[in-house]
Amino acid sequence: MKDHFTMDEPQPRVLDETKQGVIGTPMDRPDGARKVSGTAGYAADHKVEGMAHGVLVRATISRGRVTDIGRASVMDLDGVIEVVTDPRMTRNPAQGMAGEAPVQPGDDVHYHGQPIAVVVAETFEAARDAAQRLVVTYRKEDAASDPDATPDTEVGDPETAGDFDAAWAKADVRLDRTYTTPSQVSAAMEPHAAIAEWTDGRVELRSSLQMVRFNKAELADTLGIDADRVRILSPFVGGGFGSKLGLGPEAVAAAIASEKLGRPVRVVMSRQNVFDAVLRRSETRQRVRLGASKDGQLLALSHDDRVSNLDGEGFAEPVSQASQFLYRADGLSFTQTVARIAATPAGSVRAPGEAVGMVALEAAMDELADELGVDPVELRLNNLPDTHPMDGRAFSTRRLADCLQDGAARFGWADRWTRGTRREGDWLIGMGVASAARSNMLVKSAARVRLQGDRAVVETDMTDIGTGTYAILSQIAGEMLGLSPDRVDVRLGDSDLPGASGSGGSFGASSAGSATFLAAKRIRRDIARKLGCPEDALTLQNGRARGDNREADLSELIDQELVGEAEIEAGKTDESHFSAGFGAHFAEVAVNEWTGEVRVRRMLAVMSMGRILNEKTARSQALGGMIWGIGTALTEEVQSDARDGHVVTRDLANYHVPSHADVPGDMQVVFLEERDDWANPIQTKGIGELGISGAGAAVINAISHATGHRTYDCPALPDRVISSLAP
Amino acid sequence: MYAFDIERPTTVAEAVNALKTDEAQPLGGGQTLIPTLKARLAAPSKLVSLSAIAEMIGISREGSTIRIGGATTHGQVATELAESYPALGYLASKIGDPAVRNRGTIGGSVANNDPAACYPAACLASGATITTNTRDIAADDFFLGMFETALEEDEIVTAVTFPVPQKADYQKFEQPASRFPLVGVFVAKHDDGVRVAVTGASESGVFRWTEAEEALSADFSAGALDGLSVDADGMITDLHGDGAYRAHLIKVLTGRAVTASR
Ligand SMILES: Cc1cc2nc3c(=O)[nH]c(=O)nc-3n(C[C@H](O)[C@H](O)[C@H](O)COP(=O)(O)OP(=O)(O)OC[C@H]3O[C@@H](n4cnc5c(N)ncnc54)[C@H](O)[C@@H]3O)c2cc1C
Repeated sequence: MKDHFTMDEPQPRVLDETKQGVIGTPMDRPDGARKVSGTAGYAADHKVEGMAHGVLVRATISRGRVTDIGRASVMDLDGVIEVVTDPRMTRNPAQGMAGEAPVQPGDDVHYHGQPIAVVVAETFEAARDAAQRLVVTYRKEDAASDPDATPDTEVGDPETAGDFDAAWAKADVRLDRTYTTPSQVSAAMEPHAAIAEWTDGRVELRSSLQMVRFNKAELADTLGIDADRVRILSPFVGGGFGSKLGLGPEAVAAAIASEKLGRPVRVVMSRQNVFDAVLRRSETRQRVRLGASKDGQLLALSHDDRVSNLDGEGFAEPVSQASQFLYRADGLSFTQTVARIAATPAGSVRAPGEAVGMVALEAAMDELADELGVDPVELRLNNLPDTHPMDGRAFSTRRLADCLQDGAARFGWADRWTRGTRREGDWLIGMGVASAARSNMLVKSAARVRLQGDRAVVETDMTDIGTGTYAILSQIAGEMLGLSPDRVDVRLGDSDLPGASGSGGSFGASSAGSATFLAAKRIRRDIARKLGCPEDALTLQNGRARGDNREADLSELIDQELVGEAEIEAGKTDESHFSAGFGAHFAEVAVNEWTGEVRVRRMLAVMSMGRILNEKTARSQALGGMIWGIGTALTEEVQSDARDGHVVTRDLANYHVPSHADVPGDMQVVFLEERDDWANPIQTKGIGELGISGAGAAVINAISHATGHRTYDCPALPDRVISSLAP
Repeated sequence: MYAFDIERPTTVAEAVNALKTDEAQPLGGGQTLIPTLKARLAAPSKLVSLSAIAEMIGISREGSTIRIGGATTHGQVATELAESYPALGYLASKIGDPAVRNRGTIGGSVANNDPAACYPAACLASGATITTNTRDIAADDFFLGMFETALEEDEIVTAVTFPVPQKADYQKFEQPASRFPLVGVFVAKHDDGVRVAVTGASESGVFRWTEAEEALSADFSAGALDGLSVDADGMITDLHGDGAYRAHLIKVLTGRAVTASR
């Protein structure tokens, strides 16, 4: 029997009443030792009897048709088994939560780098050799790959509240600025990989995936078979950041090749494949208009953007997402334009929307503060809305003001000097601030908990993408059942287990965690009945049950396995209340006056992101996000050949993610106490993406404070900084 | 990588002979050539390794000049010249990473004449002489443009000889991932004037900044550069920086090199 729970009203804080005391503790990840010792099996690590090796072939034109895949050019090479093409092959990964097949282009080519075949051989080396030698013939068509050049653009209807034009006309101070951010990639450490094997008409796929429940449906739909003939295993994932939300072309290629050849096939993407054929974050061009009264009240706020994607992809980077709820104004307006281009398609990359949208909004707020002669922290504090500015919903909990004030005090903001006046030798010093915000979600999720004496097992198809799911689910089940987390076994990433939200949109811990909580809660009911006390009188601690003057060891009381299964989904609280994580980022930078180099000297983030389940994994998420912010501000940029969309920064030397040397030792994260009763029964909010949201803006604003000049194009590479200084 | 044969002669004469085969190519430290082969951008049928030719390895002092064998590694130059020609020793010590320095050779570097290579700047600024199996070539006549040198087919760089200047310094603005210079400037003050050589910046490869040389020959101080500027025309624009930025850096780094010269 499965309990079904809908989030219709605020929930009691059960986890503050239970007695085990493990929630929130900075427990090490139980999977950590296996990971650092190389014994955690990632997708490509498995060796299956009789396995063949597949290497994807990429299209070298940006639009057209394959007229001859050139099979004959490689078939007599040693070890080559087959050049597999198939109308079911997919041109790119599924978008997050699609649950259906991505575009299946047949012989058509829609972008440079699209996988068009998989060469299968007895060894990886032979497959790669043949894939490189393959002589493919195309019929080429013209297509625009540059978002500035394509004639094919879709302008959305403006989303508005109040009358922007009227408010803009009334404003004493008007700021109208255009910012750009380049394409970015997730650059997860583990490249995308898959091993597929068919047995008796069923396919088992090991792949590096974030959302197993959806991926199972995607694979079934892609292959045209029933979902009950698909099993997906993804117990360890070496980072995803959105790039593994949807089933990838390497997994489809492995499944099809394996079916055709009657033996297991492994397909691993090279790093270059990952750049070519995994969804990127769209580049953006953003126009922000802020109108304010002389005394610093925002009157008008508009944030229009232009992003890009390939035809047939429903995703468009939601650039103005946070701009729609951070600040109040009499008139707000948001218009999005999507440029259709023949280039690697775009999709979700960590904090889609906020990661780049807040760089522009928060830079504009900073400029407005300068124009008004108001402190940037003050300006933000003065313009917080009472309710959601677009739809009037109440905020569930919002401690943004506390974050800004607490952060300012800790960072020494009061000592901030006049823009462009502090120097240490050749280095100009500056401080910047930015708000952080990321909307919070609850996604349908199920989990099963088994209690065997004083040991428990949690089972769900939820994934751990390096974030700490194994840790927090063992903490939640342990807390609810009165067990030390090391007595809780967590089984993840198997599509035969109850279907969870998957890891994405920062909703995984809240959604899968709530399902685990509810499943364990159901078991508490059974324990109370066995002990002979009402459920609310039951205390579980260190393997012992107590209630109404009765006591027993779980190891004795539970003589046969108790099973609880629960499913949760969003409900009415979502309609009445808007939930989001909030925070404040502070950064101090040094800018070399002569070379334009920027060194981040220290960063601080103060965050209110609901109940913290594990202080260590939460901090790691926040720090990781802040480091992504440094990357956005200073280093990360995909560059493509404007003629054909060919990605030229196809490795981690040319696409520079911040290295240790780019990140200061002084990186502080502070969590404010918070419980979001309206969000879910464990009072949590999303954590994985708040750290990046706004972080880049704090760095950009600090550069401007240091130099007295502004850079409008991210990343602020040395040449851009130097040219911003030019008179 | 395509299949190829490899030979490892022990004398220059043998090497020259081995190179006579069609499509044979010399192999120095392989730090440029091997990645090129891996990317299938070259397909020599035979590689002739220069790494076992004793007469091409090592450093000797001859009066006021230093002679470096063409197959000497960057690592050896870095250690042995730290005292006798610190600017050149320092330059070698900053090439790539330890793996690159333990394999890569001065002969390979100058023969390759990568527009961002460090040694060509040292050669030009020092007024070095490049010695091959057939002749001596002045640095000023050797580097002809991006990846272009005066070397003939099958000619081997057997040594490079550097006059030691009174004072010198090399300033390198590193591209953080590859550690190649985005711009590198070598300044050398000789008895008969100052030479300034710039690498990494120009679309035509390493070059001498003659205006700076004149100004510095009259007054060897960073201030002497005050009125000068480098034209951004013809400077490299790439992922890491635009031409205007490189032109700007040339002046900044030249000033730094003058100040740091010793
Ligand atoms: C990660 C990395 C970073 C680097 N950073 C720098 C840097 O900061 N600064 C810098 O200057 N360089 C840098 N390099 C290049 C390095 O210095 C190479 O070693 C050098 O450019 C080539 O020398 P080699 O001996 O390895 O030559 P090879 O790669 O063996 O050969 C290069 C070319 O020269 C030819 N050749 C080799 N030896 C001779 C010879 N004696 N006579 C005639 N022709 C010859 C070959 O046929 C080939 O065409 C870097 C390389 C790498 C991989």
